[in-house]
Amino acid sequence: MPEKILTKDFDVKHLFKIDEYMKKGGYKTLTRVLKELKPEDVMSEVKAAHLRGRGGAGFPAGVKWGFVPKDVDKPKYLCVNADEGEPGTFKDRYIMTHNPHLLLEGIVMTCFAVGIHTAYIYIRGEYENMAVRLENAISEAEAKGFIGKNILKTGFDLNVTVHRGAGAYICGEETALLESLEGKRGNPRLKPPFPAAVGLFQNPTVINNVETLSNVPCIMEKGADWFVKQGLSEDGGTRLFGVSGKVKKPGVYELPVGTSLKELVYTYAGGIKSGKKLKAVIPGGMSSPILKPDEIDISMDCASLMKADSMLGSGAVIVLDEDVPIIDVLRKVTQFYSHESCGQCTPCRIGNSWINKIVKRIYRGEGKKEDLDKIEKLASNILGRTLCPLGDAAAMPILSIVKKFRKELESFIKG
Amino acid sequence: MVEIFINDSAIKVKEGTTVLKAAEKAGIHIPHICFHDAFPPEGSCRMCLVEIEGHPCLELACSTQVREGMKVYTETENVRDARKGVLEFILAEHPMDCPICDKAGECTLQDYYEQYGLFESDFLEEKERKDKKVDIGKGLILDRERCVLCTRCVRFLRDITKTGELGVFERGVRSEIGIFGDQYIDNNYAGNLVELCPVGAITDKDFRFKTRNWFLKKGASVCPLCSRGCQIFIEYHPGFARFKVPKRVYRISSRVTSRDQSQKEKGYWICDIGRYGYSYMDKDRAENIILKQKNRPAERGEAEAFLGEKIKKLIYRNKLQRMGVVLNTWLTNEELFLARKIFTLDLELEKVFFTELDTGEKDDLLLTADRTPNKKGAEEIGFEINQIEKQKLFDETELLIVFWSSPFGLGSITELLPELSKVRTKILFTPFKRKWNDAFDLVIPTLVSAEKGGSFTNIDGKVQHFDAVLSPPGEARAEWEWLVSLGKEIEVDFNSYLGMKFPYDVYKKMKDKIEFFR
Repeated sequence: MPEKILTKDFDVKHLFKIDEYMKKGGYKTLTRVLKELKPEDVMSEVKAAHLRGRGGAGFPAGVKWGFVPKDVDKPKYLCVNADEGEPGTFKDRYIMTHNPHLLLEGIVMTCFAVGIHTAYIYIRGEYENMAVRLENAISEAEAKGFIGKNILKTGFDLNVTVHRGAGAYICGEETALLESLEGKRGNPRLKPPFPAAVGLFQNPTVINNVETLSNVPCIMEKGADWFVKQGLSEDGGTRLFGVSGKVKKPGVYELPVGTSLKELVYTYAGGIKSGKKLKAVIPGGMSSPILKPDEIDISMDCASLMKADSMLGSGAVIVLDEDVPIIDVLRKVTQFYSHESCGQCTPCRIGNSWINKIVKRIYRGEGKKEDLDKIEKLASNILGRTLCPLGDAAAMPILSIVKKFRKELESFIKG
Repeated sequence: MVEIFINDSAIKVKEGTTVLKAAEKAGIHIPHICFHDAFPPEGSCRMCLVEIEGHPCLELACSTQVREGMKVYTETENVRDARKGVLEFILAEHPMDCPICDKAGECTLQDYYEQYGLFESDFLEEKERKDKKVDIGKGLILDRERCVLCTRCVRFLRDITKTGELGVFERGVRSEIGIFGDQYIDNNYAGNLVELCPVGAITDKDFRFKTRNWFLKKGASVCPLCSRGCQIFIEYHPGFARFKVPKRVYRISSRVTSRDQSQKEKGYWICDIGRYGYSYMDKDRAENIILKQKNRPAERGEAEAFLGEKIKKLIYRNKLQRMGVVLNTWLTNEELFLARKIFTLDLELEKVFFTELDTGEKDDLLLTADRTPNKKGAEEIGFEINQIEKQKLFDETELLIVFWSSPFGLGSITELLPELSKVRTKILFTPFKRKWNDAFDLVIPTLVSAEKGGSFTNIDGKVQHFDAVLSPPGEARAEWEWLVSLGKEIEVDFNSYLGMKFPYDVYKKMKDKIEFFR
């Protein structure tokens, strides 16, 4: 097993309590960072570590922080995206359940680097236990002086608040998250301006995923060079791959960025259940284009998957075996996006519902031979033409499923 | 200024201009549904996507700002395909009830389908069923199936009236516009929503099913119902050859006065008082000259002679102090100028009064407390807006001329009625047939502002000219025409009234005499 970064102490009992976390060396790095380093040092270290966002888009975190204007009178905000809504993804809950202090330590360091004094953790409504655990962890950290006014007597203030979402997938999109956090309907905003300039309450805002921020403490502890070396490809560090579906050992695996997908499915997750054959793998959450068995010998990093016309997304690997009818998959996918489209822009609102209606008709056995062409045409009318990435997230998997499993879908129409 | 290229032709625009506005300047229309000049770009309809060289995806014309040397293409295969795609999406869930939709004929969606669509529908599924007549207050009816969710209505109520009665409810294809519980729309600008709606989703009871908009003609005018003087269109039915239409005017719409962004809160809207208060143009209009002693409709010449004779008698008897005049601030600048010339300068009358101003509560947007159109004009012309002093007005008065133009209220005229019998000769100029007309010896039918040319000076001191939109009913003629004849008839300064054939001839005189109107 390769070295773990985020999950190395997860077998420690009660790690979520601050005493256990500190016994394992927690908050030591924070003390050093706050007392000895300047904010610029933290930012340049994270930049050098090639820490890519773990939420889905894979944007380098250090670069994102750099977009925040430095000398402004306005308050700046950090929003932690814990609205883990991408189907198949369950890695952030793993961190927040077992090691909330790791996230908090990362949050404090990030805020220090960017000059932020207010942070919000936007957590999906369904994660009630984790929200409570985070709130407890915040109180513990406040009691020890790691969060709050004059942290560790360095004069740095930071207030962290947990905000629970109400169950909309769209609120995981960063600007919709901001709207929701402001108390409005969770509709994505038109970009530009980007949140780094005009974000929460019209102020500069950094939005990062839970896993991304949880990587910051060890980058600061062991250095960017060490972190980069942990990855097998250009990107630094490890990733939490959440493997689900028809594998023998589903679960969260922390592996170096760039680990082969085949290895992940067959070696770590134990291969396909009950000796069945592999049918397809969805490599990065439901919105990533599907891969056929002959395509899974691929390195799990942003660039390689992009080359294969798919994406690493949130690192949620969904494994399908030969028993899964592809029409079922297509129906679930289209139903989900049709249901979760916020309805703001035309192509996503009506396109997804239309495609879903066609797929349901095919499912009922009333398919027509021109249906698949129509689905492809409709999906490509959504792709790249919507207000936020949800449209792309819906169109990409649909296009790839229809393209790669056309024969099977056609057989369903005929039969 | 930056230079950009739209479909390979160069155009220079100001920095910060959006591609959509730049194209508009170059005479190229980029179709859009959710975008409206009065609001910041929303970017939700996706109709205005264009190709910009160097950009991987199509970009929104409504929100993308120009950059030096930017190359924009608005008619490429890709762009046309995207537009068609958006139209196809919208129309898939659109009820297609154009034959019974009031918006048909002036519907953005219909127009765009003609221009950019023209495809056969292959939507084989069942359309979403939604409510088709939701009362949202102020006589507005919402049809949720027709709604394309451009959210112009929501943004108008949020940003302009700041009352926020409408919101978007539900999600995805089930999204719908609605009010919050039983909090109905209740503001004086609600009627703008009907115009603002690009499709027939919001209609008003006032216009619903009354006529088809392609029968209507539009004439530009100025709203006379308060001293703001909003620019309006009067939309009227010219009638059919063999079928009598019940009225002339069917609705009033706003005429965009300002492309200036700083004015965007004001220039696009009219208030509901102006929009829905048009019935006076058709109701109870005076059409005939009534000369009481003859007990029959009189000729124009008779009336002029009668009037002239009465005044001249007073002049010869040197008893002009026994003549009184009541004017009002509904009259145009030209008419008030003539009235001042005749009554104050030529005849040097002392008893010149104004009818009581129609007033109401003002609001923060457009509506003013003074509900007459031309008080400022009257002041600039030199009048003091004296309210009637009964004692003075009726003291020994033998001849009284009243100009009554307000379509509302009884106001000061009812106060005059008991006293009127004391006056030997009473003459009334009015566009309306009212009970009190019988108390006058001569009633001369005049015009409402929609039927005459002239100008008003609004509360901000802006002089706004307008032409006649509607034709005069019966024998009715504009007050200025009567005043010009009267000026000649009394023969005090005959030459001054020569050559006044149109309102603008009068205005030219005004410009010479009064600094303000130059």
